[in-house]
Amino acid sequence: MIETIEKLKADGIALINDAATLNDVNNVKVKIFGKNGDFTAAMRGLKDVPKEQKPEVGKAFNDVKVMLEGLIAEKERVFAEAEKQARIKSEYIDVTLPGKKELGALHPLTLVKNEILDTFIGLGFEVKEGPEIESDYYNFQLLNIPKDHPARDMQDSLYITDNFLLRTHTSPMQARTMTTQKPPIRIVVPGKVYRNDDDATHSPMFQQVEGLVVDKHITLCDLKGALEVFAKRLFDEKTKVRFRPSYFPFTEPSVEVDVSCSICHGKGCRVCKGTGWIEILGAGIVNPAVLEACGINSKEYSGYAFGFGIERIAMIKYGIPDIRLFFENDKRFLEQYK
Amino acid sequence: MKAPISWLQDFVKIDIPAEALADKLVHSGFEVEDIIRESDNIRNVVTGRVIATERHPNSDHLWICQVNVKTATLQIVTGAQNVKVNDIVPVALDGAQLPDGKRIYNGELRGVKSLGMLCGGSELGLTDDDYEGASVDGIMIMRPDTKVGVDINEVLGRTDVILDVSVTANRPDCNSILGIAREIGAVLHKPVKMPVTSYTATPERIFNMLDVQVEDGDLCPRYMAKAVKNIKITQSPKIMQDRLRAVGIKPINNIVDITNYILIELGQPMHAFDYEKIAGKRLVVRRATEGETITTLDNTSHALESDMLVIADAEKPLAVAGIMGGLDSGISDNTNTIIFESAKFARDNIRRTSRKLNLKSDSSARFEKGIDFLSQAIAIDRALTLIQINGWGTIVSGTIDTNMNAVKPRTITVPYKKINSVLGIKVPTDKMVSILNSLQIKTVVKGKKLECNIPAFREDIEGVNDLAEEIIRLYGYNKIKSTLFADARQTMGGREVNRSREDLLKRILTAKGADEIITYSFISPKTFDLLRLDKNDELRRAVPIMNPLGEDVSIMRTTLVGSMLSIIGGNYSKNNKEGVFFETSKVFRPKTLPLTDFPVETETLSVGMYGGDCDFYSLKGLLDSVFQAFKIDKTEYRRVKINYLHEGRSAEIFVEGESVGYLGEVYPDVSEAYGIDARVYIAEINLEKLFSFAKDHREFKALPKYPAISRDLALLVKDGVSSDQVVAVIRKVTNRKLLESVEIFDVYKGQGVPKGNTSIALTVVFRAPDRTLTDDEVQAEIDHALKSMKRKYRVKLRV
Repeated sequence: MIETIEKLKADGIALINDAATLNDVNNVKVKIFGKNGDFTAAMRGLKDVPKEQKPEVGKAFNDVKVMLEGLIAEKERVFAEAEKQARIKSEYIDVTLPGKKELGALHPLTLVKNEILDTFIGLGFEVKEGPEIESDYYNFQLLNIPKDHPARDMQDSLYITDNFLLRTHTSPMQARTMTTQKPPIRIVVPGKVYRNDDDATHSPMFQQVEGLVVDKHITLCDLKGALEVFAKRLFDEKTKVRFRPSYFPFTEPSVEVDVSCSICHGKGCRVCKGTGWIEILGAGIVNPAVLEACGINSKEYSGYAFGFGIERIAMIKYGIPDIRLFFENDKRFLEQYK
Repeated sequence: MKAPISWLQDFVKIDIPAEALADKLVHSGFEVEDIIRESDNIRNVVTGRVIATERHPNSDHLWICQVNVKTATLQIVTGAQNVKVNDIVPVALDGAQLPDGKRIYNGELRGVKSLGMLCGGSELGLTDDDYEGASVDGIMIMRPDTKVGVDINEVLGRTDVILDVSVTANRPDCNSILGIAREIGAVLHKPVKMPVTSYTATPERIFNMLDVQVEDGDLCPRYMAKAVKNIKITQSPKIMQDRLRAVGIKPINNIVDITNYILIELGQPMHAFDYEKIAGKRLVVRRATEGETITTLDNTSHALESDMLVIADAEKPLAVAGIMGGLDSGISDNTNTIIFESAKFARDNIRRTSRKLNLKSDSSARFEKGIDFLSQAIAIDRALTLIQINGWGTIVSGTIDTNMNAVKPRTITVPYKKINSVLGIKVPTDKMVSILNSLQIKTVVKGKKLECNIPAFREDIEGVNDLAEEIIRLYGYNKIKSTLFADARQTMGGREVNRSREDLLKRILTAKGADEIITYSFISPKTFDLLRLDKNDELRRAVPIMNPLGEDVSIMRTTLVGSMLSIIGGNYSKNNKEGVFFETSKVFRPKTLPLTDFPVETETLSVGMYGGDCDFYSLKGLLDSVFQAFKIDKTEYRRVKINYLHEGRSAEIFVEGESVGYLGEVYPDVSEAYGIDARVYIAEINLEKLFSFAKDHREFKALPKYPAISRDLALLVKDGVSSDQVVAVIRKVTNRKLLESVEIFDVYKGQGVPKGNTSIALTVVFRAPDRTLTDDEVQAEIDHALKSMKRKYRVKLRV
């Protein structure tokens, strides 16, 4: 019996060594250990072995089985590895081909608007919106611009009727808020506004952001502080803010606000027309007449307000030369802002 | 407001360069838009005397002139035939620049050296109005007393530097040389002189010559009149003419020039009537009677309305008050006696009348901005002074003045602490006082208060804030510090919930590949025809704009579809081969037309796509992602007929039974109308409705404990039966407690599928919450479902 086992071993080793593919290994496995395999057949002889020899023969069978199975497993591993390597080699792709992407772009005006709003939200401002078709009352009268006042010439209005118009600024939300809400008030109002104006820097529709703060002890210094935070966030940390006197009927004192040019940092360049400063918004202390018209005691409360055009800020920030690009919505323009 | 510096110098000493002055004005609230140097127009052209002329040897029309320009005698060739020895002519020297930008250099003409050029009037941009004889054909021959070797600008009186100052609406007083001079006085700390107003009058009195009645005092708070006899109509002196030209006014004759000169100098419009032409020797300031007409100086006829103010005589209107005089009552060469008018008219009425008649003048522009109560008297005195200085007439004594006591002194008293509390910084009190005084606001300190006497020309100053502004603009805005709510209460910032949702919506759409667009809210009414809308379609009821920029932007949109298709059309025409776009904007629906109440403004989403492999389901998938993000599970798509959509490929979208919008393929004619030769898919969603169904979070659901059993079914479904209907049967007939989901994973038509059928493959998942299901249980459910589907829609299992 031992000789049979030795032969099984020798034949097995030879068969395994001869196996040239994973398939061969499988065949060998069947030939040796299958239902009708050599080893299986030989094992059946174990029952005829005398009882006292059984442990020895059984051990010999087992040793050979373990050894052959080990060889087969090793051979399988080698072939599997080789096959895997071959597959990997055959699976090379062109990694420089484009990926499957689907990312669209927010409109640059939305990007700038969100950036502005987030800055003011951080300063405790609540975002409010109002109707785009406004009444003369909110758009003008409550803001200290009575009918036939020369200040109406500052804004060429698009009228619907004598009493309704497309709002010329987001300022009516100042009046709408003050007539319905008690101080402290701290709001920013983004929205579309409309003027009878159309050229490379003016669009008949554009977006503004209005800011209004009403509380006790609000001063011009507070206005400057808030606008400095805004300008630094929007442009960069070095940006400075400068006030110049101006006039708006709903603020007194009124100022134009310049920021130091973020391109040349005040040295003078094409963007700032050599002045080192860029005018970005109008602001001021809320005219006490407006507070009173909206039912807020101007002896007790004061406030500041500011307003600017998002298009203008976006044009400065991104260096966009013509306002009409925003409304043409050419995909090649839009997708620059992904 | 154009202010020549030489004119300003009449009132205040300016001893710094124009640029420095402009800078100071800007920082005190007066933007200087331009600094115009008159002499920049013509450079290096001087006067010269012709001392010899001879014919050019090689030409039958050219002349060789020897011209003395004081420093040299130059040989210059000219083609003009009117030059004679001893003529004084303009000589463009080597390197000269002419108004049209042309440069002149030394050269040679047919072999003869020519050192410069003799100039004609047109080459210098001049006509007879600028210099007598300038319009002549040939070289401009100057007056014989003209000095030689002098810069031509000096001869023409064009050496001024002019500041073009932008005056804000609250400072009508600065629409005058005097007003700007006052501001310059304040910024330069210099005294300001008043114009000379002194004259003597004849004993004759105006009251015997003329009667003035103001019938409508509400529109004419003050009317002053003075008479001048023995008028000599002539040219104004050169300095007046030069100054008028410098500010863009054409000199006409001395009387007209005086009224214009004073308009610019003092900001008070005046008018001169020919006394002989005043019927009944009466001037009546009254509203026009309906249907009255007048032909104004510009030779246009106007039908007047009863809310327009006129200056009339006993019979007819002579002038539209404050705007323009009548053609018949104007000054002519035969005028002997004139009546000067200097009045204050209500600015809103002037504004309305001017707009209604479409009639504007320098006078109406000033009145619209507002005139104070004092200017009338100063102006009329100044006019008479100019008459007398120049000897143009004799002044009749007496002044007609309908409201002599109009001016009441105004005093404002404010605690100076209040001023600092507006500014947020402490301005020294003596500084406040000196600044206000420099602005002619006479101010003294009384205890802890400032007592300010407001001059009549500063009607804009009403309280603390106005005074604070006057102080800080001269004290310097650079002294304002930065504080961040130094003394205010904390508030809570944030967005309204629907705006946060809109932001989320935009993020989802861009993540799915769509680009955001922004388009005008106004559209062309033709849009509705391009969209094939029926005559009485509700969308056609749009809010119209009274004064649109053009027909293309004349109504407020009721749908975003037209704008979306325009943008897709634009991109298509630019060879952008595919695109997915979205816009969120308001649409406007009037409650009544014409508008008597606020219209309904509805925040709306539009999505559009074209090109690539996009189809109905790409768009639907995009919308489903949106619904999912807002935790809206129950959406239903129902076939719908919309005129601008393909009727077989469009659906209305319902959430909990309520319509929130629609989607579909654009009708071929419509996409063609927008110039798109591709299939276009669009959707429009009412965001306010959509958001009303939105949930911001979901309740936790425990994960299942027991395994599910799923079955894939391939069904043959007859055309005309929708997948929704098939799924509905499965949902209806199977045990609701066990059915977990039904998902379609493949839809196929073609080889192997009988004609008139679609193969729909779906996965049905069953699960019990409390035990493991058996195959038999599931098979029973499936069999039941198959039987019902067969009965109801003749659905077969595909084998």
